Amino acid sequence: MRKLALVVLALVFLLSACALPAPAPGEITDQLGRPVRLDGPPQRIVSMSPSNTEILFALGLGDRVVGVTDYCDFPPEALNKPRIGGFSNPDLEKLVALSPDLIVADQIHEKEVVPELERRNLPVFVIDPRNMDQVLESIVLLGRATGTEAEAARLVEEMKIRIGAVSQRVAGLSPQERPRVLSITWHDPLWTAGKGTWEDQLISMAGGQNLFPDLEGYKTVDLEMVLNRDPQVIIASSGHGEALRAPYLWARDEPRLKGTEALKKGRVYEIDADIVSRPGPRLVEGLEEMLRLLHPDLNR
Amino acid sequence: MLGLFILLGASVALATAVGSVDIPWATVGGLLFSWLPWIDPPRTPETLATIVLDIRLPRVILGGLVGAALAMAGATYQGLFRNPLADPYLLGVAQGSALGATIGFLLPFSGTVMGLGLVPVLALLGGLLSAATVYALAQVGRALPMTTLILAGVALGAFLASITSYLLIISGHQLHGILLWLMGGFSLSHWGEVKVLLPYVIVGAGAIYLYSQPLNLMQLDEEQAQQLGVHVERVKVTLLIAATLVTATAVSFAGTIGFVGIIVPHAVRLVWGPDHRFLLPLSCLAGAIFLILADTFARTIFSPTEIPVGVVTAFVGAPFFLYLLRQKKRAVF
Repeated sequence: MRKLALVVLALVFLLSACALPAPAPGEITDQLGRPVRLDGPPQRIVSMSPSNTEILFALGLGDRVVGVTDYCDFPPEALNKPRIGGFSNPDLEKLVALSPDLIVADQIHEKEVVPELERRNLPVFVIDPRNMDQVLESIVLLGRATGTEAEAARLVEEMKIRIGAVSQRVAGLSPQERPRVLSITWHDPLWTAGKGTWEDQLISMAGGQNLFPDLEGYKTVDLEMVLNRDPQVIIASSGHGEALRAPYLWARDEPRLKGTEALKKGRVYEIDADIVSRPGPRLVEGLEEMLRLLHPDLNR
Repeated sequence: MLGLFILLGASVALATAVGSVDIPWATVGGLLFSWLPWIDPPRTPETLATIVLDIRLPRVILGGLVGAALAMAGATYQGLFRNPLADPYLLGVAQGSALGATIGFLLPFSGTVMGLGLVPVLALLGGLLSAATVYALAQVGRALPMTTLILAGVALGAFLASITSYLLIISGHQLHGILLWLMGGFSLSHWGEVKVLLPYVIVGAGAIYLYSQPLNLMQLDEEQAQQLGVHVERVKVTLLIAATLVTATAVSFAGTIGFVGIIVPHAVRLVWGPDHRFLLPLSCLAGAIFLILADTFARTIFSPTEIPVGVVTAFVGAPFFLYLLRQKKRAVF
């Protein structure tokens, strides 16, 4: 009996695997490889992350966006949209009440929020870019889902040109010319961006080396390890307002960092946290800014 | 007691000698004793000197002070309340500090008061305010019944914790920083913090030690103690203020480190008996040693990344305590 069940289960899996590659008409595949069913171009779009909001507005879909998260603050027009709550904890009731015909979610919603929405027959498109190429891909995909393929192609082309310009400038750098960069996300406890973070990718794309290539994701690090590895440049992600500048102010004033090459040469900078951490169109701005900070001489 | 002193010295030495950066023991030793006139200052790179003297040493000493403060306060509360589960967090002190610190993280400006950041200052204020509120609420006439005090503390603590939880939810990208603070840790400890905490711990410990004999008498019965010439209410208030002040200061720098205050005094009681004249100072020493070793573990085990020391204290402390409990086969309280 059990064997039979297993065979049936295996068959079901096989069949569903065969069904995946060819999406049915009216279906598109999101960045997690899930098929999403859409009846015509969506008119009421809800964005569940700041980066998705930025992409939607960049594609000229601002008028069709009917809901954003509390953290969606760019472009400024997004601030006038109805709010659906936080990023990781959206208010389902509000979301449903907006009767969206497309919800653009993020990978963090995959486990809990997406199944809840799908149970209510709401089409959810999940965006999950891990590197710059996938950011471009996510824009193309979202263009396809919303019927704005042309705008998406234009945006991606422009981004590619700007990315290409940066890579061209740093292409000739020898390893010695690539400064060791400490990226500070928060200072107390000292919290840095390791591998797999946007900051890490931007640093290496802009001709630098992350001081902590051996860490995965955002991690707290020992101050003594920082001194031992002696950063040549320190870049603090900060936002607006004095408290959000705290990591930068700390790095600039911390007496124990005085001996590092970065402090001796006065190379402590701050960078807008939003442009180096949101996988949207502005990531290119973050890249250009990073190049300006790491290689001021190359940036003419 | 002498043994514990030697152990404390050894822990300090060990904790200063190990870290995520490998530094030879001889270099560390040379640096530590370079202020002695007959020792030749060793030729060491400036970075190593900074690491040993300005990063590790203040951190180790702060860890020791916080451990001593929490364990001593725990022993005091347990004696006062005659309740084996009493610990520095029972009066809402920790929850008040946590709320203060969270507000400090979220305020749209930063700044320093007496060389200290906004977060520890608000944490200290929050802790003291909530303790004062609990005392005021628990007072019945002129007396301060211990059970009422505990109930008021638990209720106010829960109330404050709920506000903290709400603030955490709306804290956005500051969430990580706040959470790590709440779990406790000594990341970025500096001499300024040691200088502020040291006098509190010394004065607090002195005040508490002076009352260790009355505390022994109060273990039997408050009325009996009164007849034996103990000013029960005065002892209670003095001890509560001393223990609370010490706890609030410690928590304001280190975050909420659970477990030390409740378990270290019991471990000491299991090994050396319940006499407060020994229990209090021994808890101090044992708490210092325990937290120094736990923090050394926290910053080296997953080097170069760190874990909050609050995670380590319970994880390694609880099994050790359970082992003691089985070994001694004695009633704990």
